[in-house]
Amino acid sequence: MEKNNEEVLLKIDHLCQYFKMGKSELKAVDDVSFDIKKGEVFGLVGESGCGKTTTGRSIIKLYNVTSGNIYFKGVRIGAGIRSYKNAIEKARAEYNEKKTAGLSAEEDARLKKELDAFVGEQKAAIKAAKYDQKNCDKEYAQQRVAQVKEKYEPLLAKAAPAEKEKLAKEYKNELRKAKNTKLVTQIQMIFQDPIASLDPRLTVREIIAEGLIIQGERDKEVIDRKVYEMLEMVGLVREHASRYPHEFSGGQRQRIGVARSIIMNPDMIIADEPVSALDVSVQAQVINLLNELREKFGLTILFVAHDLSVVKYFSDRIGVMYFGKLVEMAPSDELFKNPLHPYTKSLLSAIPLPDPIYEKQRVRIVYNPLAEHDYTVDKPSLREIKPGHFIQCNEAEYKKYMEELK
Amino acid sequence: MEKKLEVKNLVISFRTSNGKVQAVRNISFDVAKGETLAIVGESGSGKSVTSKAVLGILAGNSIIEGGEIIYDGRDLLKISEEEFHKIRGDKIAMIFQDPMSSLNPIVKIGRQLTEAMILKNKARRRECRDNFNSYLKMLEQNMTEAVAKGDSAKAAELAKKCRDFDKFEYKHIELEAAYNDARESAVEAVSELENLVFELDKKVDKDVKRRVAEVSGMAKKSCHTYLVNAKQAQLVKLADELPNIAAQEKEGKDYAKTIAAMNEMLPILKDALALDAPNFFALGYYETFANAAVPEKTIPELNVFMRRYLDDNFMLSFIRDAKEALIYSAEKSYKQKEEAIAFFQEKRSVFTREQLDKKECMEVYKACEKKVQETIDRMEIHKDGLLYTFSTGLKGEIEKYFDGIKKNEREKARYTKQKAKYDALAAKGKEPEWKVVPASYTDLELVKHNICGQIDALTAHYKELLDQRGQRDFDAETVAVIDYLKESASGVVEKVTKRIAKEKAIKLMEEVGIPEPRTRYNQYPFEFSGGMRQRIVIAIALAANPDILICDEPTTALDVTIQAQILELINRLKRERNISVIFITHDLGVVANMADRVAVMYAGKIVEYGTAQDIFYEAAHPYTWALLSSMPDLDTTEKLDAIPGTPPNMIYPPVGDAFAARNKYALKIDFEQEPPMFGISDTHYAATWLLHPDAPKVEPPKIVTSRIERMKNRREAGDGEE
Repeated sequence: MEKNNEEVLLKIDHLCQYFKMGKSELKAVDDVSFDIKKGEVFGLVGESGCGKTTTGRSIIKLYNVTSGNIYFKGVRIGAGIRSYKNAIEKARAEYNEKKTAGLSAEEDARLKKELDAFVGEQKAAIKAAKYDQKNCDKEYAQQRVAQVKEKYEPLLAKAAPAEKEKLAKEYKNELRKAKNTKLVTQIQMIFQDPIASLDPRLTVREIIAEGLIIQGERDKEVIDRKVYEMLEMVGLVREHASRYPHEFSGGQRQRIGVARSIIMNPDMIIADEPVSALDVSVQAQVINLLNELREKFGLTILFVAHDLSVVKYFSDRIGVMYFGKLVEMAPSDELFKNPLHPYTKSLLSAIPLPDPIYEKQRVRIVYNPLAEHDYTVDKPSLREIKPGHFIQCNEAEYKKYMEELK
Repeated sequence: MEKKLEVKNLVISFRTSNGKVQAVRNISFDVAKGETLAIVGESGSGKSVTSKAVLGILAGNSIIEGGEIIYDGRDLLKISEEEFHKIRGDKIAMIFQDPMSSLNPIVKIGRQLTEAMILKNKARRRECRDNFNSYLKMLEQNMTEAVAKGDSAKAAELAKKCRDFDKFEYKHIELEAAYNDARESAVEAVSELENLVFELDKKVDKDVKRRVAEVSGMAKKSCHTYLVNAKQAQLVKLADELPNIAAQEKEGKDYAKTIAAMNEMLPILKDALALDAPNFFALGYYETFANAAVPEKTIPELNVFMRRYLDDNFMLSFIRDAKEALIYSAEKSYKQKEEAIAFFQEKRSVFTREQLDKKECMEVYKACEKKVQETIDRMEIHKDGLLYTFSTGLKGEIEKYFDGIKKNEREKARYTKQKAKYDALAAKGKEPEWKVVPASYTDLELVKHNICGQIDALTAHYKELLDQRGQRDFDAETVAVIDYLKESASGVVEKVTKRIAKEKAIKLMEEVGIPEPRTRYNQYPFEFSGGMRQRIVIAIALAANPDILICDEPTTALDVTIQAQILELINRLKRERNISVIFITHDLGVVANMADRVAVMYAGKIVEYGTAQDIFYEAAHPYTWALLSSMPDLDTTEKLDAIPGTPPNMIYPPVGDAFAARNKYALKIDFEQEPPMFGISDTHYAATWLLHPDAPKVEPPKIVTSRIERMKNRREAGDGEE
């Protein structure tokens, strides 16, 4: 396992997520890299189908990553193997090409050896990636178990016989919980649709407590206490615990969703369009709630949304996605002040404002990737154009954008 | 402005197991032709219920307690389900909020798009034929009475004229339809050719062969005598060769030859499109009756020639006769109206007596109905709404009263029974557990007042019409009649087969911005993303070419770019087709873009009503302020002002102002008495006590005022630059 810079909580490294669609593949997320610092709100915007939700879901391992790495607290929690496989194939093809071109026996042997060494390296990487993808939670649990053991064993040895039984029980409890912990549960998700994301056949108490129970909490009192605490924190009352989701309004349901995610005491929350399905007035309530929670717990939030006004209001940094690619990333003020990528410009020009006279004059900029970019020769990549301001461009465009900035 | 839809004093409630929920409480608004009215409010404020009432699709447990929805001279709340079938989806269409649930998951998109088109077309053709035939027959009859006056030779001549009109009218429509088809193909071919040239130039070659084949097909279809005339042979040759040229070129290499060929085709088509359209109405007459080939002339010359031929031989005399017929019919109806005024004055006394007799009332009602029907001038194209709705309204009032009496008697009996018990208990010195509420008696005076009011309104309306009789422009009305006939005839010729419907659907899909409509046509809804699905829903709503489009939160589930596209789409269609739009949303940002006028709804009432500028720059109601301040914009940094609490439970609507409990500007009177609508300007009304002269002066919240200030500054800065 690799260790990373302490400050960065989540690091996405060349993440690719492809889906099979018959013979072809859909590149939902294609080579996306960014990192989120502790206590920061990172906004991810883009039109529907651009892969922003998929990115969020890949992070909490709802999908198996195709390629790239995801580090959480410096631990690799998700890893794909496609890039290694491609590298092997490419190396083999190169070797074969050279071989058909004609090689001396000596050189052939040397190249063959090089190739084998390279393939061995990549295969080891694949193995490591597969292992991490599967076992990151297990290792984390082992660590926790070790911690618990370390704490209780000396206590147990020292304890008086009268207390011993109680202590042993507590120890057993803690041990079970430690075994069940998962690193990934420290990332929690708030879903877009407050109606579909709550099980209609469970009471609010059951919905909120579900995570705790899965983690091995069996003490009813503890569960109830925590559930009530969470309910009050999100602005509901205790009596609501025994009701069913359909008895609540949209805003209240979304609050239940928030309570469900923060009861796990997460370090990070992935909020997948938490306010898109809500009324404007309720939207403000939920945004204010998230803001409060963020200050209270120092939460790190990945805020996926398409409403740019909300994202601007809420986020510290914003990444703009277009068809699976991150096209621009910058601190939010900077992005709105100096949008460089034509897609960002088109996105910003589409924001409706509560100003009828201005609205009548507003002209939406249409983004047509074919007309804007010429990537036939020089392929684009994500470049830093200004400290903290990244943009997807090739060399020629980089110069053009630099001009624009001046 | 012509009012398309009028809603008056609408009251709707729902029966639920917990009691009666009052969803809409006495709202009134109207929508003019080509205008967008936005209805804004939180969920549960009754905005969707209102729109569903307009479409007649309220849930089964709803009760419409009162009010009128007037469309096309009819009250939609009173017409039968059969009649509503003809309006719903055809004249008034709706785009629903949730694109997931408004499409059928097991039917292909193409089927869903074309189904209504084919069905409606069948019905429409039948209707148009009926309209055309019945109107022409009526015209003929009136003409005979007005012009021939018993002269049988003259009458025969008139009858022949009408038949001729019928004949060449159909010819005209056929000719024009063929021309329009060709022209549309040409337009499409040009745009597709330009796209192809552009894309091949950029080295994007996706599906080139199929698209080239399509373009060549379109180009061939655009050959028409009045479009691509001289260069037709050249165009056909080029179009035939194009697929072969494209097939010979290697994929992935440059398509130099194909591009050259396409560039050759473009100017031919563009020149053709620059030409004027011939006058098909006149041409239709010429081709039907002239017995001669159409002379070789340029189109403007031809138009002048045809027009003169038509006017000399037929049209002038026909128009003269038609005008006579119109005047005759109008005069007849004026006479009837004068009679009706006298009749109503005589019968009015029946309703002012001390006691009303049911039998007599119903008889008078029937006589009135008959009288009113006679006064309607059937030749008029614009229907007079009051005349058509009068009798149902009168009947409703009478029946309400007599039904009420029966109910009241029952209530009264119950009351006396309980009262006796209550008194007995009270006499014993015990405290009775229940309270006795006396039954409310139906107010006879009010009923009389209502009925007489209706009759008086009608009489006044008649008098007004009679006063205006001298001002009518019969020339213009005759032209309108001819146009009406033309329109009806074109409806009959427009036949939609499965293939045409498919082409139409694909064009619609393109119009609403769905890429690759041909492949998409055969897919199922689950294969579409949310935005795409919403576009399909819009396409379905537009397929029928409606008069009124109701959009129930069409963009709430969509993201910004798609939202902007869909709003632009709705705006564009509104402009092009001159339809009225009722736009329901909770997002004020969207409203600013769309609306001409805005109605803010809360708890089943309209609390503020005005033009978009009134609402956004001079909002007066605290609820509007709250809505404005709870949405962040790009410059907002302060904490948002969320509206505390939730909307009231409408089973027990609060006394006084419904918003008072959540309102930080609430006055004491807000909890006691409901505020009336205060007029701020001619267009701007708000229901809040803050506008009362005695009320304390209150400033809107800072977040709102500062935003308005900011917007003003930005506008001025923008103006300065220009």
